[in-house]
Amino acid sequence: MMTKKLSPLQTVIMGIALILVLFPVFWILMTAIKPPTDWNASPAIWVPSEPTLVNFQTLFDPDALGKYGVGGVSQPATKAVFGSILATFIATTLSVVIGLFSAIGISRYGNNSKSTPLIILSGRMFPPAAIAVPFVIIFSNIGLIDSYTGLIAIYVAVTLPFSTWMLKSFVDDLPREIEEAAMIDGRSKLMAHLTVTIPLIKGGLFATTMFIFILNWSEFMFALVLSYTNVSTIPVQLAKYVTATAGTLYGVQAALAVLAMIPLVIVGYLIQGHLARGMTFGAIKQ
Amino acid sequence: MTQAAISTSPTRKGLSNKTIARIFTVPGQVVSLLVLVMPLLVALYMSFTDWSPTRGSLFDAGFVGFDNYSELLIWDTRFIYAVIRTFLISTICLSLEFSFGLGLAVLFMRKFRGKSFFFSAFLTPMMILPVVVGYIFWMLFQSNGPINQVLELAFGAEAMMEWFKSAPPAIFAVIITEVWHWTPLFFLILLSGLNSVPENPVRAAVILGANPRQVFWRVVMPTLKPVIIVAFVIRAMEVIKLFDEVFMLTRGGPGSSTETISLYIYKLAFNDFQLAYGAAAAFLVLVGSLLLVHMLLAPVRDQLLEGDK
Repeated sequence: MMTKKLSPLQTVIMGIALILVLFPVFWILMTAIKPPTDWNASPAIWVPSEPTLVNFQTLFDPDALGKYGVGGVSQPATKAVFGSILATFIATTLSVVIGLFSAIGISRYGNNSKSTPLIILSGRMFPPAAIAVPFVIIFSNIGLIDSYTGLIAIYVAVTLPFSTWMLKSFVDDLPREIEEAAMIDGRSKLMAHLTVTIPLIKGGLFATTMFIFILNWSEFMFALVLSYTNVSTIPVQLAKYVTATAGTLYGVQAALAVLAMIPLVIVGYLIQGHLARGMTFGAIKQ
Repeated sequence: MTQAAISTSPTRKGLSNKTIARIFTVPGQVVSLLVLVMPLLVALYMSFTDWSPTRGSLFDAGFVGFDNYSELLIWDTRFIYAVIRTFLISTICLSLEFSFGLGLAVLFMRKFRGKSFFFSAFLTPMMILPVVVGYIFWMLFQSNGPINQVLELAFGAEAMMEWFKSAPPAIFAVIITEVWHWTPLFFLILLSGLNSVPENPVRAAVILGANPRQVFWRVVMPTLKPVIIVAFVIRAMEVIKLFDEVFMLTRGGPGSSTETISLYIYKLAFNDFQLAYGAAAAFLVLVGSLLLVHMLLAPVRDQLLEGDK
């Protein structure tokens, strides 16, 4: 079954698929290094005449485009970048720590009821726009609107099912005899879990952390409706750039998009063997 | 299969299983209650009122029973169209993603050079933020963008399109974007399914003279079926919430011709401030999609629970 080689036709299909998959990525990378003269050219320019990093510079210093005689970037992206890093970092840590405890609890002591997956799924299926509505109301009343605390709370809640079930699948893979041996040696259950279980799923813990990072870094809609002036994240800033500049500042927008993409693609390649597990709540293990 | 709890250790040190289980699971439950269940209850209550932000506190709002719901289901054509449109886009996207994903996964069962490079490359789209994916394709579909350029080269100037000026091309653009973004997930899940098909029964079937079609349907399919259903359920859950990419591509335009359910609810709540009405729409969607997923999920519950591969 595994010994056949690709036929010529299949090789061609594979090549076409590769081009289709990579072309959009190529396009955004090229646009991010285009000088302003190439941004909106007709017909479109595929490879910039003089590659430049000025677009990236403009994100943090709105006057950088001055030498090209282009103005119009009203807002630096500095706050959004720091906001994204801050919210993602804290929310990912919290989500993984809480998820880790839940995972051990469910895996080792839980009564796996048949309805659990359905409960998780119902939480995931409610349109986020609608969850955002009560949040906006509640947060307005307790002063959490337009604050990182509120944003982080939502990030944690949204990613908790993913971290819990992904980690549970790693704990399930661990034979419980190992923990029991430690308990027989006289360690309490709690200590056995802390000193035996957790170190043994290090790899899974890392993969889960990275996966949750991807989810938090990508989150858009909650950040959009909960941020006004104090809070910003990269996806929200990108949407604002596109709206405010009516599609003229392609290069700067693309630079921000690339900045948002790069960490995720790197992390994604690092944990590609675990992506299926994360996406399917541990149902599919590779 | 329920697993027995860890037996009490002979030394009987420490806390009872129940207490330990509580210590471990309570934080997660508290977070879920506070941040998911409570807002859901607030939204549910709200959906039976005529509350809007100009009307003071939520609890002073007038109770209107099922008025919001009947309005949505009977009179609100924009909502009904959004539901039909979302359903249509979802169905087309899932079929295409499944077909392409399966095709690629089957090719990956063969041997060829550079396989691991191709594998990583094919996974790239699903690692990119939905907002950025939407933005990239918004650029690609511009009237002076590369897609029109390629069309012109291949079919002449009359093949060039204004992608965002009328409904069919705009919906088409949304579908192309979604399919590019999420085919890798199907590819990944189906490939891991194909890899877990046991080899010996396949060999035995071939030796016993089964033709390839029989081998596929009788031997490979039973292993693959739950995997396929899991892939469909996971993707269906996400695609009915489609928001980010469409927001960047078209904002639901032109008019409301690419509005998905999520986008419509977003506009109701945050552009028109009809929060109560938006909440009612959300619950209708939730009930509808729960029924759908419940039907899909029935045969593979245990698979999702145990995940024993």
